[in-house]
Amino acid sequence: MLEPELEFHPREKILKKRKNQEKINLIKAILLDIFFVFYTILVLQRAIYYKVILDLRELPFSWTEIGLFLVVSIGIGTIWGLSRTSLGARIMGLAEETKSAKLVSEIFAWALFNLTFISGWLVTKISIIDLFSKEGIEGANRIFSSLFTPEMGIFDDALFAIIETIYLALIATLLSIPPTLILSFVTARNLMKDNIFTFSIYYVLRIILNFVRSIEPLIWAIIFSVWVGIGPYAGMIALLVHTIAANAKLYSEAIESIEEGPVDAITATGANKLQIIWYAVVPQIVLPFLSFTIYRWDINVRMATVIGLVGGGGIGTMLMQYQGLGQWHEVGLIVIMIAIVVWIMDYISAKIREAIY
Amino acid sequence: MKQILEVRNLHKVYPSGTHALKGVSFDVYEGEFLVVIGLSGSGKTTLLKCINRLEEPTSGTVRFLGEDITHIHGKHLREVRRNIGMVFQQFNLIKRMPVINNVLAGKLGYMKTLPSILGNFPPECIQEAIKNLEIVGIKEYAYERADKLSGGQQQRVAIARSLMQSPKLLLADEPVASLDPATSNSIMQYFEKVNKELGVTVICNLHFLSLVRRYASRVIALKNGEIVFEGSPREIDEKWFKTIYGEEAEEVEIR
Repeated sequence: MLEPELEFHPREKILKKRKNQEKINLIKAILLDIFFVFYTILVLQRAIYYKVILDLRELPFSWTEIGLFLVVSIGIGTIWGLSRTSLGARIMGLAEETKSAKLVSEIFAWALFNLTFISGWLVTKISIIDLFSKEGIEGANRIFSSLFTPEMGIFDDALFAIIETIYLALIATLLSIPPTLILSFVTARNLMKDNIFTFSIYYVLRIILNFVRSIEPLIWAIIFSVWVGIGPYAGMIALLVHTIAANAKLYSEAIESIEEGPVDAITATGANKLQIIWYAVVPQIVLPFLSFTIYRWDINVRMATVIGLVGGGGIGTMLMQYQGLGQWHEVGLIVIMIAIVVWIMDYISAKIREAIY
Repeated sequence: MKQILEVRNLHKVYPSGTHALKGVSFDVYEGEFLVVIGLSGSGKTTLLKCINRLEEPTSGTVRFLGEDITHIHGKHLREVRRNIGMVFQQFNLIKRMPVINNVLAGKLGYMKTLPSILGNFPPECIQEAIKNLEIVGIKEYAYERADKLSGGQQQRVAIARSLMQSPKLLLADEPVASLDPATSNSIMQYFEKVNKELGVTVICNLHFLSLVRRYASRVIALKNGEIVFEGSPREIDEKWFKTIYGEEAEEVEIR
């Protein structure tokens, strides 16, 4: 047998890697602890002290105060994290397994949760009195009674408006398919991770798509109604943009969760990248893609009514006009029609999705 | 005897830190039926995947027909892969496609991209596919959907697919581990047929020693990523068995 050609010490390599990993985890744990302490101080001061104890209307704000808190929490967080008895250390799996360390982090986690719940309650201004006051109930009564006696005189207008909405949603969904397909392949980690060039494309596109998706269609509709003018076109583009970003994510996740086996098998035959994608990836994702797209049409019809409220055209715009005039009988008819259409769309898309699986 | 494969000091360390192969060296000669045995996790699958480079070896060399293929890539790698067929434990067929298309997929390495994506396989390819299905005895299922077939039948489709490559070497990664004993034996007979009648060299990972004794011409045993035994299947006695599979192991007979 030949002598080994390459001197190789994997064990040392592995140990070194493990040590580095531990260092990184400790830094993460300390950062987490700093955040937890900072958060606790801030919430205690602003929500509990100012709001509840002093009952201030306008909360005082100063950067020096916040800076001071930050310095204090960096100090406490670092020491606490290094002692390995903190919540951060527990989350990162570095905590000591003693009873007292466990107790400390459990109590702290429980306190954090309660603090958040209480301040959330205060911020939302929950009030049972407002819900059941006399004037409140009367107002609700007035609106509900007119909603349930809809004005049939505008039925034909409303029908056309709602058809406009359905078409708008359909076109947005259909136009989204080609760009979504392309984007989904280049944002699928398992296809792009092989070399640095494709991986950086993957990374940049992921960031852009996340950004686009995090902006609600409602905001996109406002932007495009300024850009191309109020009307169904603005609504359609708004939906299109959001649909592409949202579905590219769903599609690429479907690609990432395919069975690797067939990919290995086709790779082993000597096939090239395109052939592998066509023979081993595409057959596995056709059904999920179809299902997502049909479901998205359904979602888009619902969203189209909402973005109509800000000038995206269709039934939403009409609803907005009658609501502004306080004509509640007309609003009632429109709401009932929207409910019926949404229900039908929901039913149809569910049936189609059932049928193709 | 002509050497077909030479593996020298092969190491594989996964990014997770698992050291799956620790300096494995062996040779394979033309016409052999080499069986690799060992516990789950001993590195058998990694070893096969390092040969056709589905996994990248961390260090060491793999020579196929005298050529160093450890670091080749792109078109060159694909041309080498064409000559090495592979069959998997989970069959790895394209479930929604008909059997015949699954078999034709074995030809992809020989085809231009566009015609293969359009599904334009030349008639002689289709004839070859039917012929290969005949070899594994399931010609009549050619136009069924692959996932309609039983496990044993699916594995036969996978064998037919690898035969489309006209391979010089066939890698089989625990091809019978998810099949019942009777079907296992019949699948092994197809491998024997491919080995004896078509002259394809076979490297096969197996679990059951009764199958090893019946089909292997030579055996290597892996334990924790190292070769602990190399020799003829008849030499594996009680003592070797305990070395390979651990002290508590007991041989179970399957017929």
